[in-house]
Amino acid sequence: MIKLVKQLLLATSLSFVAHSAIASDSPEQIVRSSSKDVLEIIKKNDKDPAKTRDLVDARLSPLADYKRMTALATGQYWKSATTPQQEALTNEFRAMLVRTYLSALTVYKNAQINIKGTRAGNDADEQTVRTEVSLPGQKPIPLDFNFEKNGNEWKVYDINVDGISFINNHRNQFGAVIRKDGIDGLIKQLAARNNAAKQGK
Amino acid sequence: MTLTRTAPYGAFSIMRRLTLLAALLCTACATPQNNYDPLESINRPIYDFNSGLDQHLVRPVAKAYSEYIPPPLRSAVGNFFGNLDDLFGIPAALLQAKGTAAAKSTGRVVLNSTLGVGGLIDWASDLPIEKQNEDFGQMLGYWGVPSGPYLMVPFYGPLTLRDSSDNLLRLAWGPLDYIDPLAGQIAYYSTYVIDLRASLLPLDATLQEQFDPYSFVRDTYLQRRWFKVHDGNPPYPLPLGSDAEHGSSVTAEAASDTPSSSPSASEPSKDAQ
Repeated sequence: MIKLVKQLLLATSLSFVAHSAIASDSPEQIVRSSSKDVLEIIKKNDKDPAKTRDLVDARLSPLADYKRMTALATGQYWKSATTPQQEALTNEFRAMLVRTYLSALTVYKNAQINIKGTRAGNDADEQTVRTEVSLPGQKPIPLDFNFEKNGNEWKVYDINVDGISFINNHRNQFGAVIRKDGIDGLIKQLAARNNAAKQGK
Repeated sequence: MTLTRTAPYGAFSIMRRLTLLAALLCTACATPQNNYDPLESINRPIYDFNSGLDQHLVRPVAKAYSEYIPPPLRSAVGNFFGNLDDLFGIPAALLQAKGTAAAKSTGRVVLNSTLGVGGLIDWASDLPIEKQNEDFGQMLGYWGVPSGPYLMVPFYGPLTLRDSSDNLLRLAWGPLDYIDPLAGQIAYYSTYVIDLRASLLPLDATLQEQFDPYSFVRDTYLQRRWFKVHDGNPPYPLPLGSDAEHGSSVTAEAASDTPSSSPSASEPSKDAQ
């Protein structure tokens, strides 16, 4: 009996390993399939920014490492934050990113995303997928996704728009708030903005 | 810290002084938020002045412009200035030995200035001969000239010392010389500014969301220039602040002195061709 249970356990755990091995697509494949889906969502719901935002968020959130993103945006202060603080900060930062960037996506309903290739990062666990977003009659905008291998899966930890990094752009501002009001102050200020936006809509 | 416990009193007090000194140094190094912005205390008031001017004058005019001027006319204005931009892009590309970029810009200028009625119609983009992205600031950066301090210029906006060369050259050689009366010059520059500002209107919402719009504008500007100098392929992210988990050694070096001592200067972007 025990032998049977053991074998069953082994079988299930093996199947999990096999499953996650299949699930770990290369960063380029991830960008290719998700950008196709996202553009489709935008095209279908271009009259409804809120719906677009929610659908895109649902599609993309499994691919993003928001915790890592927040840690990098918080910089040197991340280590001094307690676990609950880190969690709260991650949640608010994520809400802010979703609110400010994904709501603006309807502008891109006629956009095309061309994948330009993958560039190796500092080590084997880092890769950058380079793309270009083009709208009819406009200069294409370079859009790069920085991936990091997290266990067996590749996750996005930073996005560069025309060379401008999400995390770099927030680090200075977050640092200034933390120096003045502490980590709790930053969480409070982010939450206040997120809530105000929620009530405004 | 084990040292403090075992050390005799004399050493202990030295340790304490050292800690105090370190703390003092730290507050000193924490003040400049950005390695490239030693003039922050001057820049900030100018930024406030500029954004006041923008809020009360430039932005309302740019909004009205994009609301009431029909799109074909607006794109003609944009194309006209774009054509001049292409013209300046030719020597900037040549000086970096970028033959293809120079040839494409030349093709664009020739085609758009003739068939495109003095640059009002952008036929070249339809062909397509894509618009190139070169200027004199990038040219200097290509040859290893560091960006120098970040400057917030009154009535204008963000620049670095290096990149101001581009604006100065354009001022010196621009079509301004051929427009004689002062009224004409004012009209020319006003149109230029309003056209430029109108193209930035979609970004206003993002800027308003920021905790500190000044540092957002600065960090955006500096990163974008860094990216352009390296033709979209920078060897490492620009070490902006005094802390970064990625490439912290790079940051430490850059933070030690002026940005000119950072590896950005010592390593020209020839590998980014």
